[in-house]
Amino acid sequence: MGESQKKILEMLAQGKINVEDAHRLLSAVGAEEGGSTGNKNTVKNDIGALANKVMEGRKYLRVTVTPGEGGTEGKGNLFQDGNVGRVNVKVPLSLIRAGIKLTSLIPADALDKANSALHEKGINFDVRNIKQEDIESLIEALGDMEVDIDGGKGEKVKVYVE
Amino acid sequence: MTRPPLWMKIRIRNEEHKFGLWLPLFLLLPLAFVILIILSPLIILGLIIFWDSGWSEWALKVLWAAIVSFWTMRGLEVDVRTGEQNVYISVV
Repeated sequence: MGESQKKILEMLAQGKINVEDAHRLLSAVGAEEGGSTGNKNTVKNDIGALANKVMEGRKYLRVTVTPGEGGTEGKGNLFQDGNVGRVNVKVPLSLIRAGIKLTSLIPADALDKANSALHEKGINFDVRNIKQEDIESLIEALGDMEVDIDGGKGEKVKVYVE
Repeated sequence: MTRPPLWMKIRIRNEEHKFGLWLPLFLLLPLAFVILIILSPLIILGLIIFWDSGWSEWALKVLWAAIVSFWTMRGLEVDVRTGEQNVYISVV
C-alpha cells in the first residue's frame, strides 16, 4: 500500500473525510498508479480540494466533560461538593481569533501584572511578545491539537477542533 | 463573508425554576445603529477632545473589537448540566 492510500485511510478513520470522498480518492490514486498524465492532474486536484475541505470544515473548538458513573448525582452546585457535571462547549474559531486580538487592547500595567503572575507560577512568558503572525499560527496549530483525559472516577475531558 | 448571529437561546433550569429565552440579536444591530446616529455628535466631540490623550484611539479599537466579537459569535454553544441543573446558551 502506498503512502497516499495510507493517508486517505487515516483521514477516513479520523472522520475528516467521508466514505465517498475516500472511495473517490482511492480510485484516483489507483488510476494514477496505472499511469496517465491526465489522471495525475486529477489526483492533484482532488487532493488539493480535499485539503481545502478539511481546513474549511474545522470551524469550532469543542470542549466536553463527561462524568463517570453517578457523576451528575448528588446535591450542591456544579463542580462543587464532588459533583462533575456534563459539559459541552462549542466555540467558533473565529471568535477565538477575535478574542486573542483583544489582548492588544489590554493596558500595559495590566499586562505587567499578568506577566508577574505567570512568572510567580514559574512560566517565563511575556504576553506582550504575542504578535499577529503568532496568533494565526496558534489558530492553525489548534487544528492538530487533541486533548483526551480520563479521570480516576471515570470522568473524561476532551478538547479538540472539529 | 460570515453572517452575524440572529438569535441567542438561553435556558436555565434547576430543581425549583425553569427559564427559557430566545433573544432576537438581529434586532440589536438596527437599534445600535440608530443609537449611534443619535449620539454621533457627542461621540465625535468626545473623540476630538480626548484625541491627544490616546483614549479616543483606544475607545475606537474597543468598539471595533466588540463589533467583531459579536459578529463571530454565531455557532457558540455552552451546555452545562448536573443532576437537575442545566445551563444552556446557544447563538445561531
